[in-house]
Amino acid sequence: MKKFFKLEKGAWFEFALATLLLIVNVILTLKLPYYSKHKAYYDSAPYIVVLIASYLIYAPRLFLTKKKSANDIAVVLYSFFILWEVSYKVGWVHNDLLIPSPEGLFHVFVEKGPEISKDVWGSIQLLFWGFLLAVVFGTFLGLLAGWVPRVREVLLPISNVITLIPPLMFSAYMIMILSTFRQAAIAVIFFAVFWPTFQGMVMRVGQIDPQITQAARTMGVGTIGMMRKVIFPYCLPGIITGISKSLRGAFMCLAGAEMLGVNLGIGFFIEKYKSFADYRCVLAGIVTVGVITTLIDLAVNKLKKTLIRWEG
Amino acid sequence: MAEHQVNEGEKREYKIEIRDVYFDYVENKSNYEALKGIDLTIKEGEFVCILGSSGCGKSTLLSLLSGLNKPKSGEILVDGKKIKGPGIDRAVVFQQYSLFPWLTVRGNILFAIKQSGKKLGRKERKELADHYVESVGLFGARNRYPSQLSGGMKQRVAVARALALESDILLMDEPFGAIDPKLRLELQELVSRLCVEHKRTVVFITHDVDEAILLADRIVAMEPGRIKSIHEVKLPHPRVRDELVGTSEYEKLHKQLILSFYNQVAEQIDAEVAL
Repeated sequence: MKKFFKLEKGAWFEFALATLLLIVNVILTLKLPYYSKHKAYYDSAPYIVVLIASYLIYAPRLFLTKKKSANDIAVVLYSFFILWEVSYKVGWVHNDLLIPSPEGLFHVFVEKGPEISKDVWGSIQLLFWGFLLAVVFGTFLGLLAGWVPRVREVLLPISNVITLIPPLMFSAYMIMILSTFRQAAIAVIFFAVFWPTFQGMVMRVGQIDPQITQAARTMGVGTIGMMRKVIFPYCLPGIITGISKSLRGAFMCLAGAEMLGVNLGIGFFIEKYKSFADYRCVLAGIVTVGVITTLIDLAVNKLKKTLIRWEG
Repeated sequence: MAEHQVNEGEKREYKIEIRDVYFDYVENKSNYEALKGIDLTIKEGEFVCILGSSGCGKSTLLSLLSGLNKPKSGEILVDGKKIKGPGIDRAVVFQQYSLFPWLTVRGNILFAIKQSGKKLGRKERKELADHYVESVGLFGARNRYPSQLSGGMKQRVAVARALALESDILLMDEPFGAIDPKLRLELQELVSRLCVEHKRTVVFITHDVDEAILLADRIVAMEPGRIKSIHEVKLPHPRVRDELVGTSEYEKLHKQLILSFYNQVAEQIDAEVAL
């Protein structure tokens, strides 16, 4: 316990500063009056919950990891919120339609909570199926092409051409040949992830230390055994790193895919409120995408750490 | 002892026969002759060191024996049969970096046990793996990954893994070249002891004269592409380096080998200067 609370002097000071900034934030939110009565007013409770939640994530992390960067991030973030709050309430920001107050932004999650969670769930489903299929097939085919030169010489030139075509360009055609918009969206995500996964895998197989494969060959390992028992486990860390990288690309395509006409998903949510000119909701949708991607990224990294203990 | 065990089936005079083997590396239309006709026979249970300076083709010869490369002409027979590629009848210990990094020490050895094709239960396999780990003195580190081991420990594991394949023939390609001298001596004595215990036929590549005398029954000295001379080592096993140094047999052999070695290096330098 004593160790838990042990921090450097400078770190304690910055921690105190961040805490002070948080308190100032809460006080300003509750007490600072609007310069004009015509300003949109929202209940400040959701915003304050977000502030306190962020503090509850930051403070334990600081004490557990002792990283100074946690302090820096908290100070920057809370200063930004103060600036935002003050500039809104004092009236430096005039355009209410385009720039909401922080209270207004986070209030969306209360007003449209069920809608957002439904849309997020819809997006995750699209993402999951497109992603899963792409990673499984891309890895398998990449493994084969990486190890068997004849397969590689056919597939690699083809993939080099196809990867140059932005996957969203397929969308119009996908809608025609697949029966639902949902399937078309999954297909677009599949194309966005499949080829990079395939190429990454071919590259990783090419980079294997030949001494490893030679050692396996002298122990009587055949072609299939080599792929299954040697190359696949050897490449696994790279595969997982590749997954977290292609997640970003997949999210970009997801937004595009959802504009195809799917009536569900966070991309659809953003698109819908854009056409209603409700930019408060658009911003809330963007924040949601940021949070979801970060959570998935964290989960993938956690998976990597539990699965792979051998990388020094 | 060894002779009593082979009398089932056909008894052969030689375990390994290398007949007029030729090999060259072809790159950008120019070719480099690595081996220009090698003839060598090795008896069952014999420990043969191939001694030579770098570039003399000794590692190439080992890669042909392991089956990773094929001779351009000539043939290599093991138990009277021509070898067609790598096989579990010949285990190889490489210079370094050949352990599987995703497996623990025990996992690496289990891999070899599984490949050996012996029909064993899960528990028996684990026990056998532990036995091999213990035989190279790494029982305490059996659950570590290669990235957590020192160079010397890694080579111990590599030796244990090769032994665990339970093949009659053990091929070693300068296995201790990258290890500091004190540890190297320890490993040499370990290998010498283990190979006598397990009755393997060993081909050991080295550029170290002392190492060759300590380990070998026969030393094959090479000059680029060819065998230069063959020396019998009639010192009794197991050998301890400190006891060998100073004996007349050791000194005589050492002098012979060093002389042939340096002559050859001097010739090489002359040739390069002349170019």
